[in-house]
Amino acid sequence: MRSLSLYVKRNSLIHKIDPFTKIIYVFVSVISPFIMPTLIFSASLTLINLMLLLLAKVVKRVIPIISFVFIIILTIFVIQGMFYGANQTKLFTIFNLSFYVEGILYAAKISIRAINVLLAFSLLILTTPPAEMIESLVRRGMPAKLGYIMHSVLQIIPMMSSNASIIMDAQRARGMETEGSLWVRIKAFIPLIGPLVMSSLVNTHERSIALEVRGFSAATKKTFLHQEEVPGGMKQLRIFLLLFLAAVLVWRLTL
Amino acid sequence: MKEIIINNLSYKYSLAENKALNNISLEIEKGDFIGVIGPNKAGKSTFCKSLVGLIPHFYKGEFEGEILIDDLNTLNSSIAEISLKVGLVFQDPFNQISGAKLSVYDELAFGLENNGVEREEMITRIDKYLDLMDLNEVKDNNPFELSGGQMQRLAIASIMALKPDVFVLDEPTSQLDPQGTEEVFKAVSRLREENLTVILVSQKLNKLADYANKILFLNQGGIVAYDDTAAVFSRNDLEQMGMGVPIYTEIARELELKNEKDQYPIRNSELKEMLVAKYGKNIGK
Ligand SMILES: Nc1ncnc2c1ncn2[C@@H]1O[C@H](COP(=O)(O)OP(=O)(O)OP(=O)(O)O)[C@@H](O)[C@H]1O
Ligand SMILES: [Mg+2]
Repeated sequence: MRSLSLYVKRNSLIHKIDPFTKIIYVFVSVISPFIMPTLIFSASLTLINLMLLLLAKVVKRVIPIISFVFIIILTIFVIQGMFYGANQTKLFTIFNLSFYVEGILYAAKISIRAINVLLAFSLLILTTPPAEMIESLVRRGMPAKLGYIMHSVLQIIPMMSSNASIIMDAQRARGMETEGSLWVRIKAFIPLIGPLVMSSLVNTHERSIALEVRGFSAATKKTFLHQEEVPGGMKQLRIFLLLFLAAVLVWRLTL
Repeated sequence: MKEIIINNLSYKYSLAENKALNNISLEIEKGDFIGVIGPNKAGKSTFCKSLVGLIPHFYKGEFEGEILIDDLNTLNSSIAEISLKVGLVFQDPFNQISGAKLSVYDELAFGLENNGVEREEMITRIDKYLDLMDLNEVKDNNPFELSGGQMQRLAIASIMALKPDVFVLDEPTSQLDPQGTEEVFKAVSRLREENLTVILVSQKLNKLADYANKILFLNQGGIVAYDDTAAVFSRNDLEQMGMGVPIYTEIARELELKNEKDQYPIRNSELKEMLVAKYGKNIGK
């Protein structure tokens, strides 16, 4: 069964780190370039993320994500290069369009920061099974019901889409055309909505009963089947990361 | 010893015109296996939902009377509290899967985690009920990938792991193929061996004749009959009310074979004995 997840199973140091430490890392790595908005600083953090992704053996999976945002980044460069408010120093001209150093630098700054955010989150998502990530948050006080919603979105949505294709098959078996032009597809989709919505409503209602009779709303403190495996040194790493963030903050304020 | 006492239970769903249950009073002994029968819309499912407290805590509506389970009054207890005494399994196996767990093994832990059962105890129970419900080979599979019969056995195991005293099953085989149905009935017989009090709604009268010591016959929200299995299936007015009888009872009726208690036999073995007694050992030869 497909579950919505980008997790890539690998044997790496990064994979062994517990979800909570990684969440703290992502938080620090994403926030600090916004506190300290210099190009060098953002670029260094981005480089660190890239190296960690390499270490985790998942760099290949990041490429499609990066190439997707590449188009957006290109647009930023073009627009800021030409029209940034503080543009003064002409860099080059093509087809009578002038690009300026200030704009290009500014574009580089935001792009690097965006790429950094992307890489940091990729590092977390590609190396952590979603179920473990959610459980790690529930252990630390996130409401179990919110955790359930996150779990079920990952599990039940693929389930529903396979339901949709079952209903589609049934309709195709009865001679309805479901493939072809957009109009044909839309026509095929309309009679799908009724059964899909109805069955989803009934399913949701019944499933909530099933959850209730298994203590979903119990007032007792939850326990966990799986023990959290936190490798040695992670407490120190978390403290270091937070101290780093504090240092960046102090640095910025005294600059 | 009494397990459940129901006094003047009536219930009307919020938007309904008529009462789904009307003035039900009955007592269930510890260790009883009650078969519940009745035509469509008789109130069988409503009865089950009342036993586990879904009525009146999940479904609002007009609730009257009381249900006492041991010393617990369902009206004053939460569904979660009641669920540790009374377990419910219902028709659709698919909808009973939590959707929050990626393996059968973890799925069994769902209710235990919610109820704060300690980890060691959790593992002991999961292993026990995986075994009892024959789910060991699929323990690492995704629950959604199981067959209907396996899913339903998983639902039963998940509830058993909470160790209720009473087990309510509302037509657990109505959406299963013949093989799944057999699997689930085998699982149900394990419940009986565990000495649980079982309440089973089913249209499979032959199976009820095999398992149940009492039959509760509901119609239009009221009790038509609540008596020993043989006594209920020996009534002459069942067809009139849209209910059949077990196959062996029907044969016995055709042959006008009644036992010394003036009842028809309900099981294969009984019918055989009576046939032999009446026509001699060489019958059929
Ligand atoms: N959620 C609801 N809201 C309103 N009325 C309901 C609801 N559920 C059931 N009813 C009504 O209550 C009555 C009893 O229904 P119930 O489902 O208990 O019958 P049943 O004996 O289980 O029938 P079936 O054999 O179809 O499962 C019916 O008239 C039904 O229409
Ligand atoms: Mg029903």
